[in-house]
Amino acid sequence: MRTFGGYVWADSPLHRAPAAAKLVGLVVGAALVLAVRGPITLAAALVAVAVLGVVSRVGWRRLLAPLWGMRWFLLVIVALNALLFSVSEPLFSLGPLRLTLPGIERGLLIAARTCLIVVLGAMLTATTTPQQVVHGVRELLKPLARLGVPTETAALAVGVTVQFVPTLLRESRQLMRAQELRCGGFAARGIMRRAVSYVRLLVPVFVCAVRRADELSRAMEARGYRVDRRRGATGERGCS
Amino acid sequence: MSQTKRVVIAAVCAALGVVLPMAFHALPGAGNVWLPMHIPVMICGLVAGPVAGAAAGVLAPVLSSLLTGMPAAPILPSMTCELVAYGLASGMLAHLVRTGRLAVDLYVSLVGAMIVGRLVGGALQALIFSQGTYSLAAWVSGYFVTGAPGIVLQLVVVVPIVAALERAGLVDARYPGKE
Repeated sequence: MRTFGGYVWADSPLHRAPAAAKLVGLVVGAALVLAVRGPITLAAALVAVAVLGVVSRVGWRRLLAPLWGMRWFLLVIVALNALLFSVSEPLFSLGPLRLTLPGIERGLLIAARTCLIVVLGAMLTATTTPQQVVHGVRELLKPLARLGVPTETAALAVGVTVQFVPTLLRESRQLMRAQELRCGGFAARGIMRRAVSYVRLLVPVFVCAVRRADELSRAMEARGYRVDRRRGATGERGCS
Repeated sequence: MSQTKRVVIAAVCAALGVVLPMAFHALPGAGNVWLPMHIPVMICGLVAGPVAGAAAGVLAPVLSSLLTGMPAAPILPSMTCELVAYGLASGMLAHLVRTGRLAVDLYVSLVGAMIVGRLVGGALQALIFSQGTYSLAAWVSGYFVTGAPGIVLQLVVVVPIVAALERAGLVDARYPGKE
């Protein structure tokens, strides 16, 4: 299972920056990374992300950790582009598979772009607490409130989602370990055996998650938090 | 079910929509094949209604893309629209279909949502996201052939999960007093 780190305590300009600015920065940064076409712009993007990584004082181990979990996904992207999506002169061909140099370049470029966006996302979560993310989303959505959009409810939903991701990952790992102890399976070599093990895990994961949702909603209501269909969330704030 | 609980269930299902793909990506090429993000979105629609399902359909891919880079930004808009359709359709069908038998209701709603989501996804690809380059063969291949294991997985796990949640008293029973 992939790792998902949380907030990293440090004092850096990125930690002190407003969450709304970081969220906008992430979207803009991702758009710029997607606009990367050649080696020069890719090198510039790499340098920019490296500088941000140094400035954030989070540590490269934390920033690069999500990439290890994506290794298969990245490998498939490179392989598909290298073997299937190019009509250039092949270096090697086998049936419909044609290994081409432009295909390899394109696969590596797409994989590099994905890695950069993942590192930017990791930088956001490492330098911004879930509460700051909620506040940032609330700030960004504020103009929509005039159009009748329930922005408080939307911010609440985003906040609960962000807070629940590490919790559910931890619980899933515990359930996986318990299942491994009982009947093995996740370390099994066969893909089908591993898949069956994941399927067995789904019912307890969902029951645990919805039980937590039930407890949280009861606690929020007990503290006077109400979600109005038309007006959005009302009552005590920050009780999640 | 209170509105607060609907919002929290949508958020928790969206969080599962981030967590499950992370688990399934230990299997090569798992995202397109096992469709792990679809499961929590459809379950959210079935237990908390169409609005909550649609909300989970927006939150799960957007936050997953921001936090983990998956789905990649170029396919995020089409995937978000498709997941919103799954959440909306499963919620609406769960509200409309009342046969008196829980399993039949859920399977009809689930299969209906799977069909509606794929039709909406294909229509959006053809009209907006891959205009002029999308074909019926690409639709069948992308939504039915590549994702066949995911379709089977959804048919196998979604209904038992919803039934387990009802049995545990965590969501409103469709037919109270009936086992």
